[in-house]
Formats: sequence, C-alpha cells, structure tokens
Amino acid sequence: MVRARMGKYTLIITEKPDAAQRIASALDVKGKAKKLEDNGVPYYVAKRDKDIVVVPALGHLYTVAEERSGRSYYPVFSFKWVPRYVAERGAKQIRTWLETISKLAKDAERFIDACDYDIEGSIIGYCILKYACGDKDGISKRMKYSTLTKEELEKSYAEPLPHLDFTLIEAGRTRHEVDWIYGVNLSRALTIAARDWSGKYATLSTGRVQGPTLRFLVAREKAFRSFVPTPYWEIKAEVEMNGSVFEAEYEEERIEIKSKADAVLNACKGKDGQVEKVDIRQFRQMPPIPFDLGALQREAYGLFGYTPRRTSNIAQRLYLEALISYPRTSSQKLPPAINYKTILKNLSKAPEYKKLTAELLTKPELKPKEGKKEDPAHPAIYPTGNLPERVLDASERKVWDLIVRRFMAVFAESAIRQSMKACINVNGHRFYLRGRRTLKEGWLRFYEPYVRSEEVLLPSIEEGQTINVRKVFLEDKFTKPPPRYNPSSLLKRMEEKGIGTKATRANIIQTLYDRKYVRDERMVVTDLGFEVLEVLEKYCPTVVSIKFTSELEERMDKIQTNSEKRENVLVDAVEILKPVIEELKDKEKTIGEQLSNAIKRARLEERIIGACPVCGTGKLMILYSRKTGKRFVGCTNYFKGLCKTSFPLPQKGTVRPLGKNCRGCGWPTVHVRIRGKRPWTLCFNPECPLKEERRKRIEMRNMQ
Amino acid sequence: MKCVICNREDCENGYCELHRKAYESIVKKYEVWKKALEISWKEYLSEIIKNPLTGEWAKEVAEYLIESGEK
Repeated sequence: MVRARMGKYTLIITEKPDAAQRIASALDVKGKAKKLEDNGVPYYVAKRDKDIVVVPALGHLYTVAEERSGRSYYPVFSFKWVPRYVAERGAKQIRTWLETISKLAKDAERFIDACDYDIEGSIIGYCILKYACGDKDGISKRMKYSTLTKEELEKSYAEPLPHLDFTLIEAGRTRHEVDWIYGVNLSRALTIAARDWSGKYATLSTGRVQGPTLRFLVAREKAFRSFVPTPYWEIKAEVEMNGSVFEAEYEEERIEIKSKADAVLNACKGKDGQVEKVDIRQFRQMPPIPFDLGALQREAYGLFGYTPRRTSNIAQRLYLEALISYPRTSSQKLPPAINYKTILKNLSKAPEYKKLTAELLTKPELKPKEGKKEDPAHPAIYPTGNLPERVLDASERKVWDLIVRRFMAVFAESAIRQSMKACINVNGHRFYLRGRRTLKEGWLRFYEPYVRSEEVLLPSIEEGQTINVRKVFLEDKFTKPPPRYNPSSLLKRMEEKGIGTKATRANIIQTLYDRKYVRDERMVVTDLGFEVLEVLEKYCPTVVSIKFTSELEERMDKIQTNSEKRENVLVDAVEILKPVIEELKDKEKTIGEQLSNAIKRARLEERIIGACPVCGTGKLMILYSRKTGKRFVGCTNYFKGLCKTSFPLPQKGTVRPLGKNCRGCGWPTVHVRIRGKRPWTLCFNPECPLKEERRKRIEMRNMQ
Repeated sequence: MKCVICNREDCENGYCELHRKAYESIVKKYEVWKKALEISWKEYLSEIIKNPLTGEWAKEVAEYLIESGEK
C-alpha cells in the first residue's frame, strides 16, 4: 500500500477508472502518474506541489435499500443508503473497492470530489466521502470541469469549488429515494401478484417514469391498431421542358372524392399548359445549434440507426478519452470560455478538417449559433480539439465526426437557398412545379455528409410560356396511421413532457425492452405491456399520470435551487403512494390472474417467427415435439389441419426470432447463437437466392 | 360478458374497450369512404380488410362484421 511510503496527501475521488487515470496524468508534473493496485482496485499517485492520490469509483458504490432484509414483501417505506454489495447480487467487487478507498482516506489530509459535475456524479462523490472516507463530505472541495483535457483539469484542480454542491446532492438523493420507493413497491406488487397466482416467477417492473412512458406507447399502439385508412387521390402532370421531364402537382394536394379527381383528369387530358406565374424566392437556412444529449441521440439515430443508449455510451467513451466535452448536458450553448479558436486549431491537425477549420479561423469573429436551453453545470457537447490516441471503432468514429462537424457548422454562415414555384394552367386547372437549389452553401459544407437537403433544379421558365404536358395521371393514396414510436422519437416525447432526466431516459426505454413490454425497433407494445399498463391505469392511475410525473420532476428540480424542501417532496410522494399500494394489495388475486395470463401469452408470442410464407394465413412458430422434446418450426395452421409447413432447427444453443424478413427472399428468419460459434441468421426457405449465392461462393473458393 | 372477438371481459355492446375503439373508427370512416367511392358497407369492409394500412384490431372487427352480417 502506497500510503506507508508517503506523507499526507490529497485524495481525489473520480467517477470511473478512465477518468482517474486521465486526471492523475494531467496533474502529475511529468505527465506520468504511477498506477498502483490494492486488491485489484487501481489508483494513481501523481507528484505535484504535494502528493496526490487519485482513486476511482465504479459509478454508484452506494444505493438506496430497505432497512429490513428480504425481497418478497411490500409496502416498503423505510430505507437507508447502503453499499451496493449489501443490496445487490453480483456486486461483491464493490466491497474491496470501498475497503481500498477507506484505507486511502486514512492518511489523506485534503479531499477533492472530482466526479462528473451533475446530479449522479455529485451523489457518487458525496456517498464515498461521507460513508467510505468517514464524514469528509463537509471538508471536501469540488473539481468542476466539462472536459478531461489537461488544461481544464489543471485549472479545476488549482481553483476548486470550496465545498460540495449540497443542493444538487439533496435533489439527487431525493430523486433516487422517490424512484426507489415507487419502483420497489409497484414492481413488487405486480411481480408478487403474478407469482402468487401462477406459482411461476417473472420479473415485472414499473416505476415513476417507466409507467408514464409505457402509457405513451400504449396510446400510440391503440391508435395504430384501430386505424382505418381513408382513400384520397393526388393528381400529377408530367411536363417536358428543354428535353427533360418534370412532375408538377395539382393545386389541391389531396382530393377525397374519386369522381372529382376523374373530372380533373378528363379535363386536362391531351391539353398543353401555360405558365401563369413564376415565383422565385431566396431564403436563409440558419446553421444548426450545438448538440445537447437528446439532440445528439436523435441525430445519431436518424443518421446511423443507433439507439439513444448506444449513442450515450459511445459519447461517454469519447468523453473519457478527452475527445469531447461532458455529454450528459441539456445545454445548447457554447460559452467563449471553451476557447473556440484553440479547439479549431487543434482540430486542423486532422487532414479531414484542415480545410474547413482554416476557413473558420480566417473569420474576424467566431460566434456560434446557439439554442435557448441552458444547463448550469455544463455547456453543449463540443469536441475538445484533442485527436484520438487510438484507432476509434467505426461507431465511435462516426459519433465523434458528427460532433466535430456540428461544432464547425455552428460557426459557419447561413446557407442561401432559392425556391422556385411555377404555376402551370392546364385547361383551367392549376399545377405547380417546384424547384429548390442552393445558391451559397454556408454551413451545409461544414456539416456534410450529414446534411439532409434536396436539390431540384428547374430550367428557366417564363410567364406565358407554353408547356408540353406529356400526361396527367391519378395516384391512389390512403391516409397513414400515426407512426409507432422508435427509441429516438420516444426519447423526444419524454423530453417534451419533462419526464425522466437526460441521464435516465435512454435506460428507461431499454428497460421496457428488457421487460418485454415492447419489441422491435418500431416499438410494438406486447400483450404484457398492455396488461401491465391496464392494471396500473385501473388501480393506480396517479402513478401513470404524465401530469403527476412531470410535476414531481419539477418539485425535485426545485430542491436544486433551494426553493423546495427534500422532506416535503418525500412525504408527499409517500402519501400519494400509500393508498395506491393498499388498493393493489386488495386486488392482488385479480391482478395476479390478469398478469399471469399476459405473461403466458407473451412467452408464446416470443416464439412466433413471422407469417407463414406457404399458407399465408398462419404463423411460423418455434414448437417442441411432444415425443422427442426436440424443437422445430411449424405453422400454427397445422392445428386447424390447414398447413403442414415445418422446418428443423439446430438443437444446441439459443434460437430467437429476428423480427426481420430475409433480404433475399422475404421469409421470416431466426437468429441462432451457439457457444463457441459465430451467431448466424437462419432463413428457412430452401430456395432462398442468398443460399444459392453462398453455395456458389463456397464452390468458387474451393476451386481456387 | 365477453368480447365477441378476443374473449376479454368488461365489454360494452359485445366489444372490449380495444375492439370497441376499432369498431367506432370503422363506422366513422365509412362516411368518408361512401362519399369518396360510393361503395356499400360490405364492399367497404372488404376493402379495409385488404388494405395493409388497416390496424389489426380494425381488421378483426371488419372480419367479424362480414361474417356476422352486422352493421
């Protein structure tokens, strides 16, 4: 142990090991902090004016737990903060971790909390200083930084905040405690009800934010499944100009009566058109605003298909490598203190950004386009200017590049675009020809290839000009159902309604998948999801009320600004929950039956692979032979004597419906995973063109 | 009373809450279809069953209405 060979030192607590290593290296005079270990727990010794020991946490080391032990009872309203290994299975490592921190705290004379500067980071640091270091929360200082760059870390070490941010800690503790009380009581009520009725255990969960989020999804799913489309028609005219063909749209965007659409069609057939009016307008397209976490998650989903949680994890890695600033921010502002020029100069060392950064650096003044949202703790997400020290994997590279290009774009000029609208009269009926082009690229060039703007170039058109109308035609259309949420649009909805926090929303969405309340990328609510929400809406409407949840969020936020008391929020939250839990307990049997049946159906639903491509009406499903116990795929119409389709399945490993059809033949597919082998996708179609291609490829390889 | 389509309890007019919503939607949208295409109730039901944009509960109700001949 190092402390035996050292005098008194400063002990710095960080949130994660990567951050500890980076902070220690930044503070060491030679830039090479010494890595030591105690029972497998790493910590770093840095030499500066005084010795510094930097020890990391592993995220939260303490959690809220009930005072009495046991998991199969409720209601539970008395709680305490305990080390995670006390409350959670599989958290044994935390015990040695805390022992090491306690040992290191003994010889420390000065304490600094250097966890991430937000609610979660503040609680992590506070709990360690209070419980593991022996009530050092009152004398500890606080390092505040938004990037893990050497310059910023040195500055925040030299000028730490004089004490911990206790209002932030109070707000965070309350949030954890309220969430725990709601989560543990409601989840246990559901799980125990189902278990006692069916005798089988299945984890069911809900919570203060999870319930209202599921409610958004169920409302949309109901609208989707009850949807009846209505017909309408669009009329288009194909016109020829300078040898090119363009499509003009009828003045009425949609016609809802077929006979009316036919009448227009007949009136225009075989007639030429005449240009009545040409309207040309120029407009500015403003640069985008900097990313907050939600905007980054949405953009990465739209461009790369990454789920919000994946983007959040990637951004966290980039932050820990000092490539970007702290990502869990809701700010859309970039203060000058981050030093725009230095960041751009550093980025110019990367060949792909050299030209663009050089262009920005010639501007007399760098002023970012900013959004309205502010975050007291951190600015919007920006690149630090550091270049990667290792080869980033493809997803990290994409997200980093997106953040760099967005950062450059916010300093660029507006784009100037031109729209052209020509009105063509065909036998008394007006058609519009629309064009759009970019006159000055401005920021669009900086944000390539992530720009989504379409160019439709039209030839020059003059008023009075006769136009050759090649044909006029009808397009049959139907109204579309409201789209199902995807993880990105759901996250946006949660943000708009003010439920959850930027740090928790992505995980809550993931929990809905983990609990099998939803499936697929376009989020389909399962039977189980419907039943859980039905139970909650019937017996405890308050806890799934979006209004109630967002009001509680607001009150918890107010603790942060000292305008609300933690005790009041906790007492009120418990008072609201108590009758709800009593009602759930009273109706335990009915709820248990409803949920058990839903779990049973959900387990069956999990085995459905997709529509049977042979009979077209049944569903292919994973079944088990009564004789041999072996699994295979069969059509559900077999039981009605309508379809005998069946296919063998591998007997080892796991087989899971993929939810996607084969890209070669459109048949449903499964994902097979066998230990020691690469997972693969299995298409059942014996005549699938992809199988033929693969066979040919293997033959070619063997011939070579 | 159980839902004529899915056997769920708590029904009103033969439909559970979910299928009732779909039924109401079918009845409401018929007016639009009738005006648009001058089609009969039965033709309308066949059309919406065939349409891939029709929600699955609405399809189930439409199928039931055709089978039972109810309006």
